[in-house]
Amino acid sequence: MSSYTYTLSPFSQVCRLLMNNYFGEIVGQVGENLLRRGNRSLFDIKTGTGMSLWDVKRALAVLIHHNIVTFQASDRNPNIAEYSLIPHNAYCILRYPKYLYTIKRIYGSSEEVLIEILLNIGQASASDVIFQSANRLNEAIDDVKVLNPSALYQSFQKLAADNFIIRCSKIEKNAFVENVPKLLELKEEEKFIVPQLEMEPIAKLLREKATQLGEHSDSEVIWRVNHQRFDVELRNVILVNAAARRVDAAAGELYHLILKLWREACPVEARTSNGVSHSLIKDAVRKNDGGSPLLMEHFDQYLRVLYEDSTCLISRTGDSGGGQFAVNYADVFENLACAILDSVVLERFGSKALRIFRLTRMQKFIDQDQMQNLAMIPAKDAKMFSYKLMEENYLQIKELKKGTSNVGPVKSFNLFYVDLPQVVRTVLEMSYKSLFNAIARQTHDLTANKLLLEKHAWMENMLERLRGEDTPDDLLADLSESTMTAADKSLVAKIHKLSDNLTLGQSQADETILILESYLKFHFMA
Amino acid sequence: MASANSDEPSPAASTVNDDGRSEAEIEARMLELLHQFPKGISNKILDTDMPTVNKQIKVNILNELMSKGKVSMFKAAGTQELFWCLKSHPTSRIKGADNEERVVLGLIEEAGNKGIWTKDIRIKSSLSQATLNKVLKALEGKKVIKFVSSVSAPKIKLYMLFNLQPDRSITGRLWYNNENNEFESELVDLLNHQCFEMLQQQKEIAQQKQNEGPVTVRNSSFLSSKEICQVSSDMKLVKFNLTVEDIETILDALVFEGKVEKSTASDGNCNEKVKMYRSVAQPVPFASITKTPCGVCPVINKCGKVGAIQPKMCKYFNEWE
Repeated sequence: MSSYTYTLSPFSQVCRLLMNNYFGEIVGQVGENLLRRGNRSLFDIKTGTGMSLWDVKRALAVLIHHNIVTFQASDRNPNIAEYSLIPHNAYCILRYPKYLYTIKRIYGSSEEVLIEILLNIGQASASDVIFQSANRLNEAIDDVKVLNPSALYQSFQKLAADNFIIRCSKIEKNAFVENVPKLLELKEEEKFIVPQLEMEPIAKLLREKATQLGEHSDSEVIWRVNHQRFDVELRNVILVNAAARRVDAAAGELYHLILKLWREACPVEARTSNGVSHSLIKDAVRKNDGGSPLLMEHFDQYLRVLYEDSTCLISRTGDSGGGQFAVNYADVFENLACAILDSVVLERFGSKALRIFRLTRMQKFIDQDQMQNLAMIPAKDAKMFSYKLMEENYLQIKELKKGTSNVGPVKSFNLFYVDLPQVVRTVLEMSYKSLFNAIARQTHDLTANKLLLEKHAWMENMLERLRGEDTPDDLLADLSESTMTAADKSLVAKIHKLSDNLTLGQSQADETILILESYLKFHFMA
Repeated sequence: MASANSDEPSPAASTVNDDGRSEAEIEARMLELLHQFPKGISNKILDTDMPTVNKQIKVNILNELMSKGKVSMFKAAGTQELFWCLKSHPTSRIKGADNEERVVLGLIEEAGNKGIWTKDIRIKSSLSQATLNKVLKALEGKKVIKFVSSVSAPKIKLYMLFNLQPDRSITGRLWYNNENNEFESELVDLLNHQCFEMLQQQKEIAQQKQNEGPVTVRNSSFLSSKEICQVSSDMKLVKFNLTVEDIETILDALVFEGKVEKSTASDGNCNEKVKMYRSVAQPVPFASITKTPCGVCPVINKCGKVGAIQPKMCKYFNEWE
């Protein structure tokens, strides 16, 4: 019920839909209001959405607790707080399953459970997280013996050391004196330090099968998931895969190790990383026991092949210490984004159009005639494809005038060129739209056919139970026939299949979005 | 009608001369001499060969040979002496060709492979436009000459002899058909495919040397354009000869498809730069978005929350496997 009726951008629509699906309609509406209008005070949100104050307050509380909304004192009136949405964090809801998979791949299942609990709660103290994870693991294992929480404590410390979880901003000491509490950013060093905890009280509570932790020593030290770090991790996976594709698997391993070294050398996200010396890399490879033997044997060669490769995965910045190696993220992601764009052009328009597109990109500016000669395509086709690409904004035209006389018709050169950021933004918008379509369709299917799906689920449960009690098969078949017709069953099967495809489609769209967003981010970084 | 070395008008040739040979025999002897010295015979050679023959007769015979088009006359650059030599393509095989046609034909022949423009013919033969057109039409009708279009200026017509292949510089490349100037896309595609297969095979061979280190693998997956040209010529895929430049244009087209990478290396023996090509994989195999229907949807710009095209009732989703 907002008074504005303009449509949101595809990205904002995606965020809105994600919040809606994850938290519910009320929170979704509050989120939408903040997306549309920017920083809003509590009263503005209430009038904007038309909901009761109580609902708005609770919705905001949920969003703040999940790190999607933050607040600060308004400039106009320091007694009122203004709430603003962090769109990136709202978008990252989509990536939660990927986070879990990443953690499981790197560490193991106990760390996965810790992160899962933390994602569910939003913000929590260390003890709380450990307590609840222990409970969850106990339920899963169904064992009489209670899990020792100190193992979980160590896992928690590991996660903090690798920056996957981060401490939330503290509230200032005199906060409740003023009307709007001020949030204090922690210093860099303190952000990842886990306080000393006693595991005994927690272990005792677990033995008593308590459900709540109650008072504990570190309730002021609150943690949340570090979205930035996860993004870096997802990006690194893409880069390692690229290295493996260009050379071979051992090169991928080497690149993985080098990425770790760069992160340690330069923790802040910058366009270019600091240089890392040859000897340092060699040490890292030596310490990496599980690596392939080829890597150690031909270490210099692998390094050389990687830094001579045209995708700029590594660049040699200096010669001290046996060679300094760094990476320029802008260059790497430019190459990756170009590969993505090439693939999109190929699938949408065909291989001849791809030749024209790449040709124009590599030659920077090109004439219509030259295009036809270099690309080895008949003239008519070349013209058709170049105009088609221009229609969809993949190519642009620049006019240069020939001659200086302004008498009569002025002849001019018409040169084609590719404006890379523009094309990337176009494809990015398309990706957001397709992501939105996938989520929207999935939600629609599941709600429109809700009754049918519930009936099917109930029937399946019943059959399972009966199968467990050893009922004869033909009786089961009869029962399933009478509950649901074959047509219904096939419809349900179709819905499930489409839903799975759509989930897959969402994660695929997200991959493309990650690369394109990274390119834009590093390209426009100072 | 040129006169050899006298200013007097040439008298009528007599059929019998001092040495008793008839004109036809003298002509035959002259033709023999002309064949013997393909670079040309001068007056001196004629004198030494047939000293007894009257100069005037020689001149007359030479003039007649020239008018029949078997012999052409040149002036030596240094000594200003006159030479006669045999024409390689006797135009006398054309029966009943009149003078104008012969002149035009002579000019077209001279142009050889490169062809000659109508305007040039007009200037050199100093014929009027109408006569020239008539002559050209007549010659074309007799299938003696043909016209080709040049790539550089598609509007102008170049004429050349019927059985000659147009030179590379005017048709741009071998990729144009002779008759209707169509781009031979099947040929190009075939060669394209062939070269790519070759490079793929080379890459696979190189992969087997993995134990020797990645630099060896990479270097042995390169093929130079000369080698590829050699193999393609051996395979006899095309009727004409493939030059290195042709193969390079095909390979460049592959570079523009992103399947192949180019680099220059210096040849072992000489200091020239040789172009090397190898097949590469893209850093990202495909854009994942293209696997979803929306990524390749032709109407995605019209898709929205209202209207005929909505994700709720998208038929591409329904058909998605």
